[in-house]
Amino acid sequence: MSFIVRQVAKRADGGDIIRTRTLVQAELTVGRGTDCDIQLADLAVMLRHARLVQITAGKVSVETTGGVPVEVGGKFVTRADLAVAENPTIDIGPFRLSLSPGEDGAVAITAERVVPSIEAADAAHETSIFSLSGAMPTKRRMAWVGGLAVLVLLLLVPLFHFIGEGEPALPQTMVAEAARPVTPGQGFGDGKLSVPTARPAAAGGFAPDESWSSGTLSDAHASLSNNCSACHQKAFVSVTDGACQACHTASALPDHAAPARMAKGRLPDGGVMGAAHSAFNLPQGRCTSCHKEHEGAATVMTVAESFCTDCHGGLKSRLADTAVANVPGWAKHPDFRATLVSSPSADKPVFTRTALAGAREKSGLIYPHDIHQSTTNAVANMAQKQRLPQGADGALPCSYCHKADSDQVRFKPIDMEANCSACHDLAFARDGGTVRTLPHGKPAQVAGIIRDFTLSESFAPRAGVQRLSFDRHLPGKAPPPLPGGNPAARAQAAVVSVFTGKGLCTECHVVTDTGAADLTRRFAIAPVSINDHYLPQGQFPHGKHKSYDAKTGQAACVACHTGVTKSKVSTDVNIPGVANCRECHGAPAKTLLSTTAKAGASCDTCHGFHDGVAPAGALPAGHVQPARVAGRQAAGRSRQTPA
Amino acid sequence: MASKTQASRAMTGKAVTRAPRDTAHEGFLNHKRGRWAKVAITLSVVALGAYLLTDPVPRHNGGTWLGYLLGSIGAGMIVWLSLLGVRKRVIGPKPFSLKGWTSAHVYLGLSLIVVGTLHTGFQLGWNVHTLAWALMMIVILSGLWGISLYATLPERLSANRGEVTQLQMLEAIRTLDRQLDIAAQPLDAEDAALVRMSLEECRIAGSLGQRLSGNYANDGNARALATIIEKVMTGRRTGRVDDRLEQIEFLLERKEAALAQARRHIRMKTQLELWLYVHVPVTIALLAALLAHIISVFLYW
Repeated sequence: MSFIVRQVAKRADGGDIIRTRTLVQAELTVGRGTDCDIQLADLAVMLRHARLVQITAGKVSVETTGGVPVEVGGKFVTRADLAVAENPTIDIGPFRLSLSPGEDGAVAITAERVVPSIEAADAAHETSIFSLSGAMPTKRRMAWVGGLAVLVLLLLVPLFHFIGEGEPALPQTMVAEAARPVTPGQGFGDGKLSVPTARPAAAGGFAPDESWSSGTLSDAHASLSNNCSACHQKAFVSVTDGACQACHTASALPDHAAPARMAKGRLPDGGVMGAAHSAFNLPQGRCTSCHKEHEGAATVMTVAESFCTDCHGGLKSRLADTAVANVPGWAKHPDFRATLVSSPSADKPVFTRTALAGAREKSGLIYPHDIHQSTTNAVANMAQKQRLPQGADGALPCSYCHKADSDQVRFKPIDMEANCSACHDLAFARDGGTVRTLPHGKPAQVAGIIRDFTLSESFAPRAGVQRLSFDRHLPGKAPPPLPGGNPAARAQAAVVSVFTGKGLCTECHVVTDTGAADLTRRFAIAPVSINDHYLPQGQFPHGKHKSYDAKTGQAACVACHTGVTKSKVSTDVNIPGVANCRECHGAPAKTLLSTTAKAGASCDTCHGFHDGVAPAGALPAGHVQPARVAGRQAAGRSRQTPA
Repeated sequence: MASKTQASRAMTGKAVTRAPRDTAHEGFLNHKRGRWAKVAITLSVVALGAYLLTDPVPRHNGGTWLGYLLGSIGAGMIVWLSLLGVRKRVIGPKPFSLKGWTSAHVYLGLSLIVVGTLHTGFQLGWNVHTLAWALMMIVILSGLWGISLYATLPERLSANRGEVTQLQMLEAIRTLDRQLDIAAQPLDAEDAALVRMSLEECRIAGSLGQRLSGNYANDGNARALATIIEKVMTGRRTGRVDDRLEQIEFLLERKEAALAQARRHIRMKTQLELWLYVHVPVTIALLAALLAHIISVFLYW
């Protein structure tokens, strides 16, 4: 009972290596495992693939032990009995076991690989099969393609566009709009100046350097979106004021103050930030220091309050001669100093800034607010009789005289004809069916008319002509007869009574008797200048304050202008102080859960940076331009007030 | 005397007392007890704190002092992180181990999500700047993906492979091919064509989609097997069993099983590799976009 095992291995050069062993045993194990009697090193072979048992002399049975069949005579079997004399073969994987009768009744088994190993061929394919290099371009190639695509499309193409671009053409409509002088305080109230819809991009289509834009341009500048060099004029130089002022001319946006004084008053830019600004050539005080572009639709005008208080918080310590008080913030905003008429004049009134406490104004007009606000007196009767509008309380409403201007910011100037003449009609005689009246504002004409009327009555009296009394307290009563013997004396007396008597000129004006021989030049009316802007450095849009503290109409006016109903003289200044504003602006909302202020309290709620030193530029329609603000002109462009 | 000897040996540190050494493997994720994770978390928290505590007008973006600071840090980090590819090719003693370097690469790379995103101030748009941010995020997220794969796949890869090497997997398939070829010799033309389909139209790995999905239903071997099974079943029903076809069926099934094992291996290896096919080329594109971003920002200042 023995086997002679001959294992044939191929040498690299093609020759055979035959190892022969004689195993004296009745049973052989065949498999890939090293413990097998016949080791067949191939994966197709199980570790213990089969067992060969010599049943009798010349007869061997093969039985699989690993569950994988063997091939015997072209058939896959799990068990087979073989006659050794027939030289049977058993195929296991790539190997073939050839059985033959050996010496001394032993069974000779030759094991050899019949299906050649293809290790060498597969080694070449291993990488492409098992790694992604077989299915994808190499990482290196993809890196080159991606990197170069980015560099070319997003760096070189825009760069060449920038280099090749000539002088930028600015959209004409934009330039015209920007150059138009902006009305001071145009956008006040909500603190924002903005263009409601984005202007379309200028003709020319997409520019490659748009891909460098860091964000959406503001609506106002949207048509520059494909025209980068309109603002970014020089490479590596931050947008200069010159680029802004190409459209926003100095006349449209005047200096906040003289540049030299601005530089002196500005908070010094020190420390790390200062070093960074200086290292990267970012001087302070440029347009772009405050106005940040590429921040979305409406943000170019958004400026932090701190930009104002940075300078104004401690301005006096840096700019010793400034007249502007330090304003560290809204909570510490100093009380208003109203700009009051200090010297009325027909053409050159003088205004002076004065602290509100105890302030008196010299408008030159005699006007007691209180009697015009009464509900019961002769004024109220007259107003009713004339069918003038009535306020809720029955008195003449504020709005009868103080009519909102077109912007609803301030009021149309007080005008004698429009606001006073319904009662103060300057009628002096009834002439048949005609009521004869005097022209306002022309004292020489008035004197002439009265003189001539009186003279004509002396020389050729007419029926139906009746002088009227000027005394409003005695309505309907005939005036006392004119003194004087001759017509000339009577005419003179008539003129004197018009200018000095009760009920006409002197009701509202201070009249001086110059004693001049020429009757038309004898009486001088003191000039009247009615203030129309008490706080010209700021803006108070009355239209946005029509209701206050749940009051509306006249009650709302009086809620702030508290003293006005008791004001007996026109020298009273009824401008509310800053404390009044703080009741809403910056005050916390009264709801339990909300901490937001009832109304905004940023500097630009009331003030405009670009309003210029004095409120220059055109005032809203109908306003009289104050000819001079005392002190300001004297000190040039800086804000000055006489001590 | 004995103690003296011991002391001197301890001092020399040789032979008797071995230097203490962790026997357990310490991966790059917990290198030095997560030293770089702590650094990265600190960096992220500081950046986030600075972001929340400052209130620039009109908004946060890359142009504020914090924006420039975060941008400078981020750009430096990106360049350093991309140098891992250089560092790992340099073999030899270095002051910083490759493992430590990789640990820092992973954790600092993750903190770049915070630094880079806060640098943008969430001001994103269709421009080169957002492209750089997006590429950075792709690189970081693909790296995160890769780490998660490295944490789970090798175990499964090893389990699937058993003790077989890749080459042996191929060899097994080829062997079956040879056996098929031999077994198919007596077949008629129609059946032989099926075997040829398995031999000639079988792709072990196939396209990227096939590698990832593992769907090889249309592969030559699968189609051949399906047809042969049908034929054998028909034969069995009609009582005319063709032994040769059954033998082919058996071989095709074995080949399919061998293919399945190899393909599971390929699928996992594909996953292990694919993230790098994103991570590395996108990193290069990111470096290009970063250059374009920085140049354009300062050119159009």
